[in-house]
Amino acid sequence: MKARSILFVLLVVMFAAISFTAVAQDVAREDTVIFDIDGPAGAVANFDQMNYMLPNNHRNKGLHQAVAEPLFILNYETGEIMPWLAESMTSNDTLDVWTLNLREGAEWADGHPFDSGDVVFSIDLLLNDETASLNYAGNVQTWIESVEAVDDLTVQFNLTQPNPRFQLDFFSVRIWGGINMLPEHVWADKDPYTFNNFDPEQGWPMGTGPYVLTSANETTWVYDRNDDWWGAKTGVFKLPEPQRALWVVTGNDQIRTTMAVANELDSIMDVTLGAFEAMQAQNDNIFAWVEGMPFVWLDPCPRQLSFQTQRAPWDNPEMRWAINHAISRDQVIEIAYEGVTIPSRTLYVEYGAMFPFIDAIEDAGMAFDSDSDLDAAAALLEKNGYSLNDDGRWVDGDGNALSLEIQVHEGFIEKRRITTNLVEQLQRFGIDARAAVIAGPTWGDNKRFGNYEATTDWDACGSINEPWASLDRYTARWWVPLGERSSGSNHVRWDGMNNEAYSELVGQLGSLPLGHPDSIDLVVEAYRYLYEDLPFIPLNQATKLIPFNSTYWDGWPTSENNWNHPATWWQSTHQFFQEITKAGM
Amino acid sequence: MAAEANAKTTIVAGGTKKAGAFNRFDNPWLNWKFLAGVSILGIIFFLIFLGNTFWDTSLALNASAPLNLPPYGMEYQKGKNTILVGVPEHPLGTENSGRDMLALLIVGTPRTLGVGAIAASVGMLVGIFLGFLAGFLGGWIDDVIRLATDITITIPSLLVLIVIQSVLGSVDLITMALLISMFAWATPTRYIRAQVLSMRESGYVQMARLSGVPVRDIMFKEIMPNLLPYLAASYIGNMTGAIISAVGLEVLGFGPQRIPSLGVAIFFSIEAAALLRHMWWWWGIPTVILAIVFIALLLINLGLDEIANPRLRKAN
Repeated sequence: MKARSILFVLLVVMFAAISFTAVAQDVAREDTVIFDIDGPAGAVANFDQMNYMLPNNHRNKGLHQAVAEPLFILNYETGEIMPWLAESMTSNDTLDVWTLNLREGAEWADGHPFDSGDVVFSIDLLLNDETASLNYAGNVQTWIESVEAVDDLTVQFNLTQPNPRFQLDFFSVRIWGGINMLPEHVWADKDPYTFNNFDPEQGWPMGTGPYVLTSANETTWVYDRNDDWWGAKTGVFKLPEPQRALWVVTGNDQIRTTMAVANELDSIMDVTLGAFEAMQAQNDNIFAWVEGMPFVWLDPCPRQLSFQTQRAPWDNPEMRWAINHAISRDQVIEIAYEGVTIPSRTLYVEYGAMFPFIDAIEDAGMAFDSDSDLDAAAALLEKNGYSLNDDGRWVDGDGNALSLEIQVHEGFIEKRRITTNLVEQLQRFGIDARAAVIAGPTWGDNKRFGNYEATTDWDACGSINEPWASLDRYTARWWVPLGERSSGSNHVRWDGMNNEAYSELVGQLGSLPLGHPDSIDLVVEAYRYLYEDLPFIPLNQATKLIPFNSTYWDGWPTSENNWNHPATWWQSTHQFFQEITKAGM
Repeated sequence: MAAEANAKTTIVAGGTKKAGAFNRFDNPWLNWKFLAGVSILGIIFFLIFLGNTFWDTSLALNASAPLNLPPYGMEYQKGKNTILVGVPEHPLGTENSGRDMLALLIVGTPRTLGVGAIAASVGMLVGIFLGFLAGFLGGWIDDVIRLATDITITIPSLLVLIVIQSVLGSVDLITMALLISMFAWATPTRYIRAQVLSMRESGYVQMARLSGVPVRDIMFKEIMPNLLPYLAASYIGNMTGAIISAVGLEVLGFGPQRIPSLGVAIFFSIEAAALLRHMWWWWGIPTVILAIVFIALLLINLGLDEIANPRLRKAN
């Protein structure tokens, strides 16, 4: 989890200072933009794992923000899918053949043309991954029958079934990132399961973006501008103003705040309200998405408590409902967020485009209460053979205390604060709950292999402007037995009659074009099964308080200057380099 | 020679006296450092007792109190436009998860001391056993124990503990204490072995051997009583080291999160940037308590050293 000591605070600041001093020798601070990124302070052991295909890689340490360009970028503010590395993507009438048109003149950083051969190579690699362990392999194999190059700039995707969201889901940075295209001339002779894609001297990781990785260590990734970038050469984009971009792992709010106040960070990843207030009090150039309270941007991935539904006693939906009744979402928000978010009514993010579906679910009486209902929780436990002992603890017929271990990723203060409060609420109710704070990679593996009782996650994440993506993550097609690695979707191993009926309905929903009038009824019908079985408990909307510092760079996104959302750890950060300008220029 | 030495005149406070004459103030246990350390610890325990009796310690739990209140009588500027005022219900203030700082100290201080006590006890017991075995029996047993001791002492224990706890996730205090004790036995073993080696050759031990006293009785009934002050000093030193290790781990975030100890409280404050938020009471009060505990333990340790070592006493 996880070093967060004063010693490490000093070490990280020292490392950052050393890194900055080192780079400052050739690139001035005012020409350098510095991004904060998540990770254990001073201890990213496998910092050179830059293979996008493997789990636990470090693509968000600048790699997918500055080097690997997406084909398209979804603009959250306008809803438009903006062309980026590709020009357009269209489907046939039956939505099962999609044609991708690439940009003329696009190149890899070494000058090699980016063409349809690279796209076909990348998709075929995933299609032929028999282990389905490479990132996106499961999705690609589910949806794509074959891929073919029509000519140098045209690629045709033949799908296994109609998919109206094909472009949006995989190539448009709908959430965080998407499938990255690989340079065939580099990857052709590499083993995708072992290649770490890191050798700055050879230009690896090779991308098409405006920056190239020049060095990295446990805390800092340094990218220098490629002045020969295809985007600027062709006039499609402008050459970004920053000559250098750094991604620095800060580790905790104390370090983030210290560095931000000292103008050693231009973009700060999510912080707590208190830390933000401290920053603002000490540096007038620091601001966030919204000027006043609550300052935050609504993250598209609401937080939830997921159960491994094969493990007793939590394999019983009534036991999961008991936990749901025992939890006050209002208290989670008050304590874990110091009040700066709202409870989840459904599994969906509360974006405007989702309101028709959320409202329909609410009208059908399936919205979650924000407060607890301890009597209902107690009634369910009693119905299932539990009783309160003299110490106020719930015990089964043999006197064994009812316990629940909630695993949580150690790298996120927000999720740990949620979990700590959940544990306290359950303890007060009489359940022997405890938080297990676990190192990120182990936490991820535990989830995928089903080695947990409950976990605080955000895995219903998916729907932004349509209802299918989030629902699909719990369908039977993602189910794998315990002990086998799941793709990430349905890691809760929800199965049974309700799941079959649910999956059938979600499948029907998935074949409808976006905005089809039948979709709302299908959502409500499918949701009924999910609500009844409750494999996970939606908790609250996730908010991100993302500070920016205008001392050196202007043009950062805000609710007023809303050219897109402010998440700098997403692949859409490529757009930032088109928007930010030197301060005062 | 010994008789001559005892007959020397000694300068003492208030005049001169013949050495060897009875003086109740000669009692080595009336050492001011020892007494001061014990008194400080005693006061801490007394306050903890009072706190447990008169204060609601459940306020140390998450979501038990209003957030971010300063100590009573003080104001805290939160952000640009909000001023929070301390209230008597939370005299030492609260932190950002709704924990009352006074309750947190009442609950957290004995937990911190407890980790040290458990780890030091286990370490000392193992150290006494191995030290006596090695020192008294010698031979290949001595070689093996000495080798294991030397190896263990060279291991950077905090780093190993961090790795172990990273794998285990957050652990309870007993587990943490036992983990720390894995490294807390080596130093006592080494020193006790050295003491036993020198005592083994003393006359009363030789006499006991000649009289056919069993080895176990010689070790634990003859030698050990003479080592008690030394063992006590060693125990306190070990306890200090164990507390430092525990606090180190807790400040790194490895401690039990639900019911905090002092180190965990400091960890929470670091994580939430309390220093920069000017919430000094959050990190400052646990730090001061820890400092007082360490000073008390140091005084006891120094005092016991002097009690166990007449030369040291004389030098002072």
